[in-house]
Amino acid sequence: MSHRLLPLVVLTALGLTSCRDPQISTYRVPKEKSPAMTATPAAAASAPGATMANTPVTTAEGPGLSWSAPAHWTAKPASAMRKGSYAITDDSGEPADLSITAFPGDVGGDLANVNRWRSQLQLPPLAATELASATAHLDVNGLHLTTVDFTGGPTAKPQRVLGAIIPVGNATWFFKLTGPAALVAREQAAFASFLQTIRAPRPTS
Amino acid sequence: MSNLICQFRDFFVSLKLTVVLIALSIVLIFAATLDQVNLGIWAVQQKYFHSLFVLWRIGDIPVPIFPGGYLIGGFLLTNLIAAQVYRFKLTAKKSGIWLTHIGFILLLIGELITGLWQEEFALRLDEGETKNYSESYRSNELAITETTDPKFDDVVAIPEKFVARGEAIQQGKLPFRVVPKIYYPNAALAARDATTPGVAPTPATTGIGLQATATPLPLTYKQNERNAPAAYIELAGPAGPIGTWLVSADPRFPPQSFEYAGRTWKIAFRFERSYKPYSLTLLKFSHDRYAGTEIPKNFSSRIRLNSPDGRDDREVLIYMNNPLRYAGLTFYQAGFENDDKTTILQVVRNPSWQLPYISCSLMTLGLIVQFGIHLVAFIARRRTLPSAVV
Repeated sequence: MSHRLLPLVVLTALGLTSCRDPQISTYRVPKEKSPAMTATPAAAASAPGATMANTPVTTAEGPGLSWSAPAHWTAKPASAMRKGSYAITDDSGEPADLSITAFPGDVGGDLANVNRWRSQLQLPPLAATELASATAHLDVNGLHLTTVDFTGGPTAKPQRVLGAIIPVGNATWFFKLTGPAALVAREQAAFASFLQTIRAPRPTS
Repeated sequence: MSNLICQFRDFFVSLKLTVVLIALSIVLIFAATLDQVNLGIWAVQQKYFHSLFVLWRIGDIPVPIFPGGYLIGGFLLTNLIAAQVYRFKLTAKKSGIWLTHIGFILLLIGELITGLWQEEFALRLDEGETKNYSESYRSNELAITETTDPKFDDVVAIPEKFVARGEAIQQGKLPFRVVPKIYYPNAALAARDATTPGVAPTPATTGIGLQATATPLPLTYKQNERNAPAAYIELAGPAGPIGTWLVSADPRFPPQSFEYAGRTWKIAFRFERSYKPYSLTLLKFSHDRYAGTEIPKNFSSRIRLNSPDGRDDREVLIYMNNPLRYAGLTFYQAGFENDDKTTILQVVRNPSWQLPYISCSLMTLGLIVQFGIHLVAFIARRRTLPSAVV
C-alpha cells in the first residue's frame, strides 16, 4: 500500500521544505572595488534604483555652491544625501572621505553640528561657552565659514575631521574631510586651498 | 484490499475529482487575477498559488478560506498519476495519451519545484564595476560589517524579519547586541530640522539619523516600486548603549561607519545579497538603435567572467534571449539606467528550467502519436470499404 501513497508523501515533504525561515548569516568577503569614477561631481546622475524606491530625501533646494577640488582627489558620484563626494587615498589603503551636504535651516545650530562631529570621533561634547575657542572663522568669496579641526577615535588609529559650516540663504552647507589622522594632516593644506575655491551662487536677476 | 483503501483509491482515480479540481483552479485563477490590482503579481503568487490554502486574516488569526495552488496542484498531480496507474492500460493504441499525460505530470512537478526553489535576484553593474554578488528584488537585510582588515570585510547579515520582530539580537561575531527600536516596513526619508518648533525628538543618537528622519509609508505592491524599510537600531555593548542609528534600505542611504572596541564597523540596511564564488565585470553596455530613429534594436552587456581559481576568465555577451548560464544560474539582460552606463541583469536560479521544454515536447509528441494512430486507422478503414459505397 505504501507505494501507492508515495505521491502524497512526496508532496507533503515538498510542502514542508517550502517552510524555510531566513537565518542570520556571517561571511567574509574581499573589500569591494569601486568602479572608475568620473572626474566631475555627477550631480545630475540619476540616483540608482530611483524607479524602485521613490522616497526622496529632502536636502537644501535652490542654487548651490560651486568649488574646485584638487586633481588628486577622486570624485565619487553624488547621492541624494550628498551634493559632492571625494575619496582621497594614499599607499596605506584606508581612504579619507570628503563629503559635501546641504540641509534646510541651520540643522540645530553650530554647537549641535560641531558636537555631532565630535561624537563621531568619540570626543566629549563642547559646552556653549567652549564653542568660540574650538572653532575658527574664515571669509571666502563673500561667504562666512566656521571651521573646525578635531582629532579623536581610537588611540591606535586616530581619526581627524576638518570641517567647514557655511550658511547660504535658508540652508546650511557642510564640507567635511574625515579620515586617518596622518592622511588628513597631509591633506590639510589642500583642504585649506579647496575652501578658498568655494563660491556662492550667482544672484539671479 | 479493505473497503476503506478501495474508497481512498476510487476517490483519487475519479474523473469527478479532476473536474472539481479544474473548476477550483478556474475560481482560484480568477480571484487571484482580480486581487493582483491590490497586491501586485509577486504577493498574489505567494498568497494564491505558492500556498496550501488561501488565508484570510480575521484580526491576527489566519483562517483558510479556499484551497491554494499547492493543494489543488498536488491533488491534480496525485489524481493524474493514480488514474494513469489504475485506469489506463499501457498499450500501443494508448501510447499517445500516455505520453501526453506524462508530459503534463512533468509540467506540474516542474512548476512545484520552480515555486519552491526558484530564486530571483538583480545584478546592477556600472561600466568598469566588478561585483561578486546579486541583490534580492524583495528581501532586505541589516548588514553589520567589520571593516578593520584592509583586505576583507566580515559581514553579519540579519534578515529583515529579525529587525521587524524587534527583539534584541546577540550574534557570536558581534561584540555588541543589536536592538531594533523602531521598524517601518516602508518609509520616506526627510531632512530633520531640530530648530523647527515642535519638531519631534529623534530616536537616533548618532549618524545620519540626527539630520534625517523616517516617516512610515503604506506598503506598495506596484510592480515598478519596492518598499524601502527603515529602522532605528541601537547597538549596546556590555557597558551600555553605544548609539542608535537610523538605517534605511533606500539605495541612496549610505552605510554608516563607526568605531567600537578599537575596530571599525559599518551598519547598513540593504537589499539582501547573494554572494558568488566568481565575479562579473561590466566592460561595456550597448544600446543599439535602428539607424536614424530612437527605436531600440538591441541591448547587450559585454561582461568579463572571472573565477578566483583561474578556471574561468573570459568575456561573454549577454543580450535579449541570449542569457549567460553559469554555475546553476541564468543571467538575463533585464534593464539599464544611468544614461546607458549601468546594466541590470536578472539572475535566476531555477533547478527545473528544462522541465517545461521536456514536458511540452512530450505532450506535443503524445498528441501527434495519438492523432496519428487515429488517422492511420481511419484511412485504413476507408480503404477497406467497397468503392460502390464511396
